[in-house]
Amino acid sequence: MSVTNIGQPESSHIHPPPDTFIKKYVFSLDHKVIAVQYFITGGLFFVLAGLLAELMRAQLMGPNNHVLSIATYNQAYSVHGSAMVWLVVIPLLTGGFGNLVMPLQIGARDVAFPWLNMISFWLFPPAGILLFASFLYGAPQAGWTEYPPFSVQMPFGTSMWCMAIFLIGVSATITGLNFLVTIVKMRAPGMTWTRTPLFVWATGVTAFLSMIATANLSAALAGLFIQREFGVPFYDVSRGGAPVLWQHVFWFYSHPAVYIMILPAFGIVSEVIPTFVRRPIFGYKAIAYSSATIGLLSFMVWAHHMFTSGLQHWEQFAFMVLTMLIAVPTGIKIFSWVASLWGGKIRLDSPLLFVFGFLSTFTFGGVTGILLASVPVDVHEHASYFVVAHLHYVLFGGSMFGIFAGMYYWWPKITGRLLDERLGKWHFWSMFVAFNATFLPMHWIGLHGMPRRVATYDPIYTSTNEFVSISAFVLGLSMLIFAYNALRSAKSGEVAGPNPWGGRTLEWMIPSPAPYYNFKEIPIVLSGPYDYGKPLPYANVDQELATVPVH
Amino acid sequence: MAVISAVLMYIVVVYPIDRAFLPEASVVSVPIDNLFKFSMFFSVPILVYVNGFIIYFALRYRRRPEEPIEAVGSPIHDHPALETTWTIIPGILMIVLAVLSYYIIPMYYPTGQATASAVTMEAIGHKFYFEFRYPGLKQSVMNEMHLPIGVPVTLDITSYEETLDVKTGPVLHSFWVPEFRLKQDMIPGMVVPIHFTAREIGTFRIVCAEFCGLGHSHMWGKVVVQSKTDFDKWYAQQQTEAAAPEAERLITLAGGDASAGQGLFNAKCTACHNAAPFAQTKVGPGLADLFDDPEHPNLVTGKKATPANVADVLEHGAHGSYGVMPNMHANGLTDKDVANLVAYLQTLHK
Repeated sequence: MSVTNIGQPESSHIHPPPDTFIKKYVFSLDHKVIAVQYFITGGLFFVLAGLLAELMRAQLMGPNNHVLSIATYNQAYSVHGSAMVWLVVIPLLTGGFGNLVMPLQIGARDVAFPWLNMISFWLFPPAGILLFASFLYGAPQAGWTEYPPFSVQMPFGTSMWCMAIFLIGVSATITGLNFLVTIVKMRAPGMTWTRTPLFVWATGVTAFLSMIATANLSAALAGLFIQREFGVPFYDVSRGGAPVLWQHVFWFYSHPAVYIMILPAFGIVSEVIPTFVRRPIFGYKAIAYSSATIGLLSFMVWAHHMFTSGLQHWEQFAFMVLTMLIAVPTGIKIFSWVASLWGGKIRLDSPLLFVFGFLSTFTFGGVTGILLASVPVDVHEHASYFVVAHLHYVLFGGSMFGIFAGMYYWWPKITGRLLDERLGKWHFWSMFVAFNATFLPMHWIGLHGMPRRVATYDPIYTSTNEFVSISAFVLGLSMLIFAYNALRSAKSGEVAGPNPWGGRTLEWMIPSPAPYYNFKEIPIVLSGPYDYGKPLPYANVDQELATVPVH
Repeated sequence: MAVISAVLMYIVVVYPIDRAFLPEASVVSVPIDNLFKFSMFFSVPILVYVNGFIIYFALRYRRRPEEPIEAVGSPIHDHPALETTWTIIPGILMIVLAVLSYYIIPMYYPTGQATASAVTMEAIGHKFYFEFRYPGLKQSVMNEMHLPIGVPVTLDITSYEETLDVKTGPVLHSFWVPEFRLKQDMIPGMVVPIHFTAREIGTFRIVCAEFCGLGHSHMWGKVVVQSKTDFDKWYAQQQTEAAAPEAERLITLAGGDASAGQGLFNAKCTACHNAAPFAQTKVGPGLADLFDDPEHPNLVTGKKATPANVADVLEHGAHGSYGVMPNMHANGLTDKDVANLVAYLQTLHK
């Protein structure tokens, strides 16, 4: 099995490890350290944005509440949405898991451009600080979408919002380019496309989307900033502009962004399932190619966010059909994952539980997505609490459950220690129940006429809102279990060993935590990664390390 | 089997939806709800099957404690026939849903013969109220749209303020009548017509569904669907009111009741104004020292802050630096209410 010298650079090209604290932990070039930086920063913003959500729910405990003033409430949900999308979900999935796992899974020693990677990260904290500092200058109030003309009329905080999101956009574009080059050029010898792990497939498509789509967001933001600060009338009706222009350009980014926020979670699910079911993933090619199909289709559906914005009805019809088309590859994925459970030897550990949570809630969000795709139904549901419920089912129920699945799964690879299994199960069940209790009733009040982005409501919705608010507080508390579990693991967690779950992808073939420069020798890949029961398909790896689950 | 599933689905889906949904008060709301029910016919089974299979497989194929830790599952990694099935069936369902939607979309846009006989009205979004204009009626009707039952209506929808300047001018609103299943954004610089026919007598809410500013949470109106005779009566009354010249209606301030005014203030004014000094601005300034603030002796109209001039602002509205002070019609105030409010505002005066 020992094949050597298949055209990889010799190990002589290893740089000496960084010697100072600053080089090692602050301005590090190591993808694993940068990933942890993303996790910590993103986690911090998750706490802040989550607290904003709890404040909003406190305000909505009853009609005409005065927990927050109307203006502060508007700021709270605008910053909550912006932060969750751009400072939490995207950085955690791409910056965090993408950086941590993708180079390890393709058998590379780092990403293609480590310097760019470091710059990408260091654009992120200033963007977050700018966004939260906007509270001092009148934070944005028009939601995460900031539709003009209203956003043109707001104080300086909205310009800060533009700058913050612009910075994040630059960071995402650079990361996209970096990851795409890494995945195309740096896969280990023998790792053909159909032997590439599914998380890498998902990250590759995400990288492509980030690279192409984010430029449009930057254009829209630059337009809004220039309109606000210098009066160039992009969105000014009285001087030949159009408010709807913003909606088109914004959603031309923000619909692909929906997939930037879910595809890596698809990737995590596709990794966790075979490991814990201990059988090959069902329909490997279908899952990989449907990721690519979803990526391409995601550019052609943006106007389904604008069915009430005065489109021609042939346009509405075209965007409706394309939107419904996306349901097909997404369905293929979900059915393949469920079929992967058939005939397995399932170990119900926390990562798999979170994947089940993902499958259950994301399928629900997908189904309500089909309802929203149908123009006549959407016209009623658009901009109501039904949409709030739908987007939380796909973004919280999808992306966040995916993120937690990945956290429990790769935590030992980051820290060398396991998270406590019992606490993990408590975390999952409390989060899953509280999540559904929070967001399921929102469909109902939305269909019954409660619009989104309101600080008060018709008293007929009071009891439902009380229930939702209390569930939201429980949901917030359930996160404390994870925080406690993480601290406990850092202090006294069980030592994991290189491969606690018996995984077969390359990140499990090296010690935990992964050593500097990852692989002593670049591994050689002889077949696909998910053939449980067969010998490991790698040469040049330490076969001693990689055996069966020890946990 | 098929009959049993159909009956089951009727019990699980159609029956509860028919009972629990809002009234179907416009003609187009019926096919829209039918489309919703049709979607439920495949959505509910998909959810049941996906969740059911996860639970069943998780229990059925769980590793038993006596099995060795290195035990692996079935090596099968694809099944072309199965995969083709679950690609084609959702594909067909989507095509059917798209075709059905295709036939409903034109129903709420004024195209074709159905709209030839329609009455054309205008709906204009303002900060933060709805204005309706009827053919043959000189003055607009604020926040309360009256409609005769069974008459097709084409509603031209837009957003407008007196100033078009982008920094203070019109913003997006959305005209949503949940009971009509109808929504259209009100967009500055665009007039979008929608078409509908009311089919149920009653009063329904109009809700602003596109964020428009501090008054958004309170931007509600009413649709009053009436019989033809009631509507004609209402319309005639509006015409007589329009005949009376506006300027002659002077509000008598004497006898205003401050405690009634306080209730009105809390209900109508606190969305935008605090009962606190000027600097505590919400949308407009705080109103505590309205009549006695040496730094701000004048009202937004440029006139001196006297009770009569304040009543004038309440009656006619005004354009402020952050938005529009709606007039008494938009606020739903009577002459007596204005007097009560002015009386209350004077008690805030130090």
